[in-house]
Amino acid sequence: MWSVVTRKELKDALRDRRALAALLLFPLLGPVMIYFMFNMIIDIAEDAVDVSLPVVGAEYATDLIDFLQQNGIDIDNMPLNSSPASEGEFYSQAQLDEISQAIKRRRFDFVLVIPPTFDELIGASRRSNVELHMESTRTTSSPKISRISNLIDAWARETAALRLIVRGINPDIISPVSVVRIDVASQQSRVQSILGMVPFFVIMAAFVCGMGVAVDVTAGERERKSLEPLLVNPVPRYTIVIGKWMAAVLFSATGLVLVMILNFFSLSQVPLEEVGIVFNYGRLEIVGVLVTTLPLALFAPSIQIFVGIFAKSFKDAQAYLSFIMLLPMAPFFFNMLNTQDREFWMNFVPMLGQHMLLTDVVRGDTPEIIDFILAGMSLLFYSMIFIFGASQLMKKERIIFT
Amino acid sequence: MIEVTHLSKRFRDIVAVDDVGFTARNGAITGLLGHNGAGKSTTLRILYGLLKADQGSAMVDGVDVVTDSLKVQASIGVMTDAHGLNPRLTGREHIEYFARLRGMEERLIRKRIDGLIETLDMGEIADRRAEGFSQGEKMKVCLSRSLVHDPRNLIMDEPTNGLDVMTTRSVRTILQKLKQENKCILLSSHIMQEISALCDEIIVIAEGRVLMQGSLEELARLTGESDLEEAFMKITRQA
Repeated sequence: MWSVVTRKELKDALRDRRALAALLLFPLLGPVMIYFMFNMIIDIAEDAVDVSLPVVGAEYATDLIDFLQQNGIDIDNMPLNSSPASEGEFYSQAQLDEISQAIKRRRFDFVLVIPPTFDELIGASRRSNVELHMESTRTTSSPKISRISNLIDAWARETAALRLIVRGINPDIISPVSVVRIDVASQQSRVQSILGMVPFFVIMAAFVCGMGVAVDVTAGERERKSLEPLLVNPVPRYTIVIGKWMAAVLFSATGLVLVMILNFFSLSQVPLEEVGIVFNYGRLEIVGVLVTTLPLALFAPSIQIFVGIFAKSFKDAQAYLSFIMLLPMAPFFFNMLNTQDREFWMNFVPMLGQHMLLTDVVRGDTPEIIDFILAGMSLLFYSMIFIFGASQLMKKERIIFT
Repeated sequence: MIEVTHLSKRFRDIVAVDDVGFTARNGAITGLLGHNGAGKSTTLRILYGLLKADQGSAMVDGVDVVTDSLKVQASIGVMTDAHGLNPRLTGREHIEYFARLRGMEERLIRKRIDGLIETLDMGEIADRRAEGFSQGEKMKVCLSRSLVHDPRNLIMDEPTNGLDVMTTRSVRTILQKLKQENKCILLSSHIMQEISALCDEIIVIAEGRVLMQGSLEELARLTGESDLEEAFMKITRQA
């Protein structure tokens, strides 16, 4: 009998453009965002490999420039138009201004300036400065800058070592320790944090996609004054509540599946291997994600229906449910602050268990089967409590008649 | 048949229904007559199982409303005071929904609805969405969905409220026909004309109490007034 209620509510919801828009638009939001954020990070990473370096005075540092070129830096001679320096200066103020203007106007992100005495000083085993003019607030250029300074440092170390060898001194004497960098590149961790948003969007989808229906079948019914006539039919309250719940569940589940498909699609479109992440989704992972998240499609509408019945109108319901919308964010923030590993009790906290499971699956770990079962069952349990509560509320005179 | 004995209901400090008792026979139209707030709706709501009485009993065809409200609801058709429709569903879909909730067979549903559409002259609104229905059109849909399962007993709260003359007349015709079919019809109204034109038995209610009950002639005899309105005024003033 509940299916009669569900079918009617679905028919109604499918004619409701607002509910449909929430169902179809929200699932698009997350995957599209993730796609663009990934591409941005990957572009930055790619750029660092392929650096074009504007140089002033490249001819004064032949050896260094050769070294940079060998390491894949594209040297771009920057001609200066301003009046040259007078006696006693390397570059005139006008020329230095020209360089900083070029950076400020975004013609270049940075410029390497080599003094005319460079080769002379280096040849005489003395020391020379080079200047790297840059704009430090431009985050997109920072990987390039650090690559260039690293290369210049490497050339300096090499030169120093050669000087010592020529003098019969072991270069190890001046560098007793060398740091070997095991690179957990910054873009990789940024990618990880974006992957961390996937569970968030999935949990949000469960809440957003069914909400329109959940509000309409409860607060909407009260606002329209159609609850009293409905309850006159010889059908138990829980049957009616379950029927209404199921209509919202179908919307929520559809949204979830849509979000999932679109997320997988958008992740498969991003060249993740270029930032060193192996993203290998098999059938097992997809099943895992579905098993994890579908209980959310039962839970979110159950709480919305429970709260919706309290509300006399759409307006009331919206006010109440905006608080409920904060719920999916709780596990997300908890996870951000929480450094410890998953613990057993987390399975029993609604949504936190799902969030943990999803995070694992998205990162390519396989959680234990028992975690899936416990997290799913506890959500089901909470849903039942809300549905039972909603059925009880529907018996209240205050709810039926006002 | 609907039997009410010693029914009482209070909301916090307000006594809405106070020791009300009456019987609505089969094959008769019984009318609850009273001012707004006299306790008519509360009495009816107890009868169709949405309010719990504090005291007394209400039986429909011998079934207790309190202990077996679903069984009672199955044997009655109800037109509530609230006439909410869903703006995105058509007239026909509203009636279908209630018929299905009552477990009726699809073929029978279609037959019954077609019949109701014809008697209530709803051809124009049957397949239009309820958005923008006039009050009369809404009432027709509500009336149809309370009649679709052909109930033995009919409970109606102000059934002709807001209807135009034409529709009021067709509602009256339907009720007369149902009476001929030996149904039990209980309705409430504050419109004297309505009550005197339709009802075989009149129950005058004020402040939750039954002041007088009987046929139009009996009321006239007891009060010495031939006009129902005059009789009503006299009864309520005495109390």
